[in-house]
Amino acid sequence: MNLKKTIGYKVVATWLESQGFKPFSFQQEAWQAIHENKSGLVNAPTGFGKTFSIFLGAVIQFINEHPDKYLQKKKNGLQLIWITPLRALGKDLGRAMEEAIAGLGLQWQVGIRNGDTTTNERQKQKRIAPEVLIITPESLHLLLAQKEYPSYFEKTRIIAVDEWHELLGTKRGVQIELAISRLAGIKKTHPLQLWGISATIGNLDEAAEVLLFPVFRFTEGRYSLVRANLDKKIEIESILPDEIEKYPWAGHLGIKLVDKILPIIEKSQTTLIFINTRGMSERWYQALLQAAPELAGAIALHHGSIEQALRIWVEEALHQAKLKAVICTSSLDLGVDFRPVETVIQVGSPKGVARFLQRAGRSGHTPGAISKIYFLPTHSLELIEAAALKQAIKEQTIESREPMLLCYDVLVQFLGTLAISEGFQRDSTYHEIKNTFCFQSLSLEEFDEVVQFLTQGGVALQQYDDYKKVELTDGVYRMTNRRLMMRHRLHIGTIVSDAMLNVKFISGGYIGMIEEWFISRLNPGDSFTLAGRQLELVRIKDMTVLVRKSTSGKSIVPSWNGGRLPLSAKLGKVLRRKFQESAALIHKEIKPSQTDIEIKVLEPLFALQQQLSIVPKENELLIEQIETKDGFHLFVYPFEGRLVHEAMAAILAYRIGKITPITFSFAMNDYGFELLSDQPIPVDDTNVYELFSDENLVLDIQRSVNASEMAKRKFRDIAVIGGLVFQGMPGEHKKARHLQSSASLLFNVFAEYDPDNVLIRQAYAEVFEQQMEETRLRDMLERIQQSDIVITFPKRLTPFCFPIKVDSFRENMSSEQLEQRVKRMQEQLNQAASGKKKK
Amino acid sequence: MFVPTKHIILNEHFWISPHRALFWEEEQCLILSDLHFGKTGHFRKNGIPVPQAVYQKDLQKFVDLLQYFQPKQVIAVGDLFHSTANRELELFLKWRTDFPNLSFTLIKGNHDVLSTSFYTAANIEVKQNCWQYNEQFCFVHDLSDVKTLDANRFYFSGHIHPGIKIEGIAKQKIMLPCFYHSGNSMILPAFSEFTGLYNIRPKRNDHIFAIVENKILPLQEC
Repeated sequence: MNLKKTIGYKVVATWLESQGFKPFSFQQEAWQAIHENKSGLVNAPTGFGKTFSIFLGAVIQFINEHPDKYLQKKKNGLQLIWITPLRALGKDLGRAMEEAIAGLGLQWQVGIRNGDTTTNERQKQKRIAPEVLIITPESLHLLLAQKEYPSYFEKTRIIAVDEWHELLGTKRGVQIELAISRLAGIKKTHPLQLWGISATIGNLDEAAEVLLFPVFRFTEGRYSLVRANLDKKIEIESILPDEIEKYPWAGHLGIKLVDKILPIIEKSQTTLIFINTRGMSERWYQALLQAAPELAGAIALHHGSIEQALRIWVEEALHQAKLKAVICTSSLDLGVDFRPVETVIQVGSPKGVARFLQRAGRSGHTPGAISKIYFLPTHSLELIEAAALKQAIKEQTIESREPMLLCYDVLVQFLGTLAISEGFQRDSTYHEIKNTFCFQSLSLEEFDEVVQFLTQGGVALQQYDDYKKVELTDGVYRMTNRRLMMRHRLHIGTIVSDAMLNVKFISGGYIGMIEEWFISRLNPGDSFTLAGRQLELVRIKDMTVLVRKSTSGKSIVPSWNGGRLPLSAKLGKVLRRKFQESAALIHKEIKPSQTDIEIKVLEPLFALQQQLSIVPKENELLIEQIETKDGFHLFVYPFEGRLVHEAMAAILAYRIGKITPITFSFAMNDYGFELLSDQPIPVDDTNVYELFSDENLVLDIQRSVNASEMAKRKFRDIAVIGGLVFQGMPGEHKKARHLQSSASLLFNVFAEYDPDNVLIRQAYAEVFEQQMEETRLRDMLERIQQSDIVITFPKRLTPFCFPIKVDSFRENMSSEQLEQRVKRMQEQLNQAASGKKKK
Repeated sequence: MFVPTKHIILNEHFWISPHRALFWEEEQCLILSDLHFGKTGHFRKNGIPVPQAVYQKDLQKFVDLLQYFQPKQVIAVGDLFHSTANRELELFLKWRTDFPNLSFTLIKGNHDVLSTSFYTAANIEVKQNCWQYNEQFCFVHDLSDVKTLDANRFYFSGHIHPGIKIEGIAKQKIMLPCFYHSGNSMILPAFSEFTGLYNIRPKRNDHIFAIVENKILPLQEC
């Protein structure tokens, strides 16, 4: 079957030609595969016709199946389901598809279904299914909660999952897996074709396997992997400070470099400035306006807490090249391309190669253009990450997205969804669920436990007297209580956010949203910053924060949770090699010309580090023991990311505690961690390898204090997804009267009275797999066993340990206090350093 | 039973129990707040599986208190029952018949939404708003409902579920339920263990009695 000879291809190619386009070869490859009824994955970056690679494939298929009537045929039923993680993308996608449909003369309809779709529109979609439905994972599950949903999907040929690399490894991804398994189960006549679209990640094949798992049994594991192979040039340049701080600390340097980015903004049409946290983005916005008041009106702020209408305005203005610069967070990571964007500035470490590439790719969209990205360090040591990023990109070292396994919370929710609409049966549903990658190893026993959780509450029946959610009648599990059904529908989804309050001017006018816990720490009269404005808290009324403009010079910038991503393992590995290069430079083993500019400018810092301690080589683990007036510090530098360090710190503390009774406090960053105690820490070369052994690792993790605390934190999301805790919409009163409880309270209750509860088990599993990253921890310990552990006893704090130290007292201080205290520390240490040289 | 701590208010003796209750010696009176009986049952009825053992433990604790102090009367400063009736309340009624001579007074809280007939059947006297027990002592569910506090009186209340945050070294933070004595009022901790805590910010001269497992830990006692 040659695609090019089919009428469908000819029609589509002619139309494309009339538009002045020529199909990319990867598009033709995808069309051919779709034509052959295959499933697969398209690997292509944004902005290069990835949408058409699948969408036009579906169109060609339709034309070929109806060669005489394709121009007339209406009401064909839902042909193509297009799953996208972003609501905002729906409109643009729909517009592009509609243009193509009109150009081709087809009678297809395109529907958009997400949280913003009006009731009226939904009704229309329900009466007559559009041929293409662009939908979010949550809304797809809502369709599965409707009675008679199977007939709605009867005609569906293709399910496309856009931005699969973003969904893989998340619970939304699991949600998609479950929905697909159900839809595949409905299809009796022709099998479903599944197509993923993904940017480049380290495990593309696995990504395909996860998505296509439900159809693998039809294809014996075969699938098409279509690669765009569009070589996009990326140029990376670090913004170098004039003077290198020998005592670096996170967050401080960045803003000082604001003058250096003004010329960059000046010479580009539009610049995107990516900041890692919403709090810092607020500060940058202020700083930029202060440095260049003439930019007022030409720069904008874009992050997740800003009012949606304003965000949409910013996006529109970006399209129309009305803005010189936009300061944004990951809120602009995804989505359609803004052609006017010529330059991207990344402030602070992006923590991973994939994210850095993605952000770089947001610039330079004209064919043949180069993506230009600047790296602006927030502390001097971070410059070495820029060197590591360049290296990693050169070597094509890109992170993998690890798929999630056995997410009971999502399963509990999904079974509830099925119980609302058509009900579910034990055996057939079990087999369908087992037919997903996530639940492939689910035993019937475990499935029964989940069902029991829904029907009886738990194993100990007398404990759950009066409980009723899902009931078994005539072999079918159903939910019949209207109130429960309604509440379930309102809570379908796996995105859990902090309780948010709306922020409004007392005189009227909406500003944005803010976390309840942040505002609860403020008193009326206090000032804070949101959406680039200084606001004074007047009062909180009816779940709304009422504010007025503040004239006070000082204001608190909210430090939002979740901004702290850990360093990826892949980047950590390259980073260690760069430290090795730095060590080589200090030891004059290589010439400055043989290494990166970033490492060269850091030489004074490394020299001081070497003078006080050492700069570790790739096969060395550095441990520093330092005594200060705060107590006895033990610093360890595995360069494995903060999550692994947090776990390792707990384990190490536990193991040292077995030698002698001792209390520690921990601090960590992406490079290393600190144990602090008021007594000497008994670590020396006689016991150090033992302390870093991977023997009894799991047992020691469980015994180390933090496990249950961490599990409790994980349980927060699980409890919401599993339907135990209801989160209100921002600013909305919690609807469920008398049913409020916190997840941590429920965690305590279950841990005490029903510790085998599936959701509690899941919380612990998530701690070990994601929080502790057990495999990564194990890899690290194995590596350490192979390496030389070097213990040094510096006389004072070293450049390496300084940022960790600063982080450790960041938490309980306002930023102003922090700044003063850090400045004093830096001065003292610098004096000590220069004083020593004079002698 | 765990040892209570003595606390003197307006020359009267109050025993603070780590079981989250207060015993007034002169009046032979047990004072509690925010018992939220039936809460776990209410959750289960609404499709959230919370084990009943939580409630049974609370009820057992209550019985232990009665046996230890042998009070003549009980005053609940509101939120005795969590919500509308459910089967767990039958357990309460059964218990109530075992103590027929005990007088039981409830200051109605925002959660006490049961019908009058239920309280009658349970032999519970219900008071609204701020109840003046005698010349000196008043009971009210939510202290902020009292517009102006009378400087010559002392107020017992509940409602907020006071908790105090204690920060140790090692950045370890822990929130503990507490009795919060500030000026001429005392806010009692929630009796039920299936309740959250509200972080209070005590002033300099306030007395805080934190509950650490089975002990009372006086903080900031002058």
